[in-house]
Amino acid sequence: MVGLSIGEKKFIQGGISQDLRADGRQRRDFRPISVEIGVIPQANGSARVKLGATDVIASVKAELGRPSSLQPDKGKAAIFVDCSPTAAPIFEGRGGEELSTELSLALQRCLLGGKSGAGAGIDLSSLVIVEGKVCWDLYIDGLVVSSDGNLLDALAAAIKAALSNTGLPKVSVDLAAAKDDQPEVDLSDEEFLQFDTSGIPVVITLTKIGRHYIVDATSEEESQMSSAVSVSVNRRGQICGMTKRGGAGLDPSVILDMISVAKSISQQFMSVLDSEIAAAEAAEADDA
Amino acid sequence: MGNTKVIAAVYGPREVQNRSQQINDQVLVRCEYSMANFSTGDRIRKPKGDRRSTEISLVIRQTMEACIMTHLMPRSQIDIFVQVLQADGGTRSACINAATLALAEAGIPMRDLVTSCSAGYLCTTPLLDLNYVEDNAGGPDVTVGILAKMDKVTLLQMDAKLPMDIFENVMQLAIEGCKAIAHYIRDVMSHLLSFYVLITPSVI
Repeated sequence: MVGLSIGEKKFIQGGISQDLRADGRQRRDFRPISVEIGVIPQANGSARVKLGATDVIASVKAELGRPSSLQPDKGKAAIFVDCSPTAAPIFEGRGGEELSTELSLALQRCLLGGKSGAGAGIDLSSLVIVEGKVCWDLYIDGLVVSSDGNLLDALAAAIKAALSNTGLPKVSVDLAAAKDDQPEVDLSDEEFLQFDTSGIPVVITLTKIGRHYIVDATSEEESQMSSAVSVSVNRRGQICGMTKRGGAGLDPSVILDMISVAKSISQQFMSVLDSEIAAAEAAEADDA
Repeated sequence: MGNTKVIAAVYGPREVQNRSQQINDQVLVRCEYSMANFSTGDRIRKPKGDRRSTEISLVIRQTMEACIMTHLMPRSQIDIFVQVLQADGGTRSACINAATLALAEAGIPMRDLVTSCSAGYLCTTPLLDLNYVEDNAGGPDVTVGILAKMDKVTLLQMDAKLPMDIFENVMQLAIEGCKAIAHYIRDVMSHLLSFYVLITPSVI
């Protein structure tokens, strides 16, 4: 994907082993992050996150639906990611599909937990309106507008920001007026319920290049990776999900080491992200 | 344009990827139009490659081909990607305007700027630049694309019947809209150019 000469490859690898990367960062530094929220007025919540030259948009749309019969006390949430061809020409047509699926599955695993919904960053039981009858279906859509590495972390941050921007209309359900099975539902235009987003984890991807691993790799650095581990960590330092990408094998002790590093970095990243989200919310309130 | 938001990206001119498509005396212009899942009021479930996007891709490609000086870049290819972030009527026009601006920024030689604007006719009044609600009200929707300086029409689409004299009015209105957009785009471009000169004084 990225065409690099031998010299450039050596430069990247050498820099990483000396803890000084091509853009002047150290191995465990993130690029500057910027967050905008409320970018898509038609959605219930949306956010745009820029991490260096990586630019992603996440939007949350809520629809009323029926809870699945296996879990009548839980709402549903699904994550879809789309790679726009504006980011890179290889995403044209069906070209981005493989990466899109990989990213959506990884995010689903890191943020929504397994099939049972246990360990989910989002409290699915808060989405239920009437048990077994009415619940919110959250459709979380990510769009990659510009891609310069570390898409997973940027998307997860955008989803977190979009969810904290999400307001679900207050629903009053008239069970008595229910004729057959479907109760009558009344949506309020004025009152909105805010989400509790404090439990939503951040995703930290550690990319292994040579003998070291780095955070927030650019696409040039990603082209040199042997493997990458994405760990999602919540505010309390608990690990909510993990994925490993890349072909090379990793020693189990290295993985444990990576997890503990990811855990300590995640707390810094979380506080940076929180302050960015708060600043974006303040900016939006000023506009309104 | 109002609540309609689109992004356009241009790649090229570059080597033709699929050799069988190469044209020996012209540049190959390709275009892909895609809509984000969240761009409309109701969520789109299967966005890629439906008939509507294929048609709009084709329309944009033909319109842009008319203004690019294709003979100057033989055996090469230009890709235009447009992505709709928010759709509120007039996506076709917005995409063409965005593509023009992106092509100009990419420094691709063009005869003129193509700009596009839609117009409709509702309740005996011609309307410029219909939004989603006006578009769905059932009246005719005329999309016009013109080469602004040369005063030539490169795109004309209409989807309902309309008496000839009213059509003339509506089309005139759309053309005026296009010219206003062309004026605005020229402003934006001169602004952009002065910015470039500012950051790299050696350009001129």
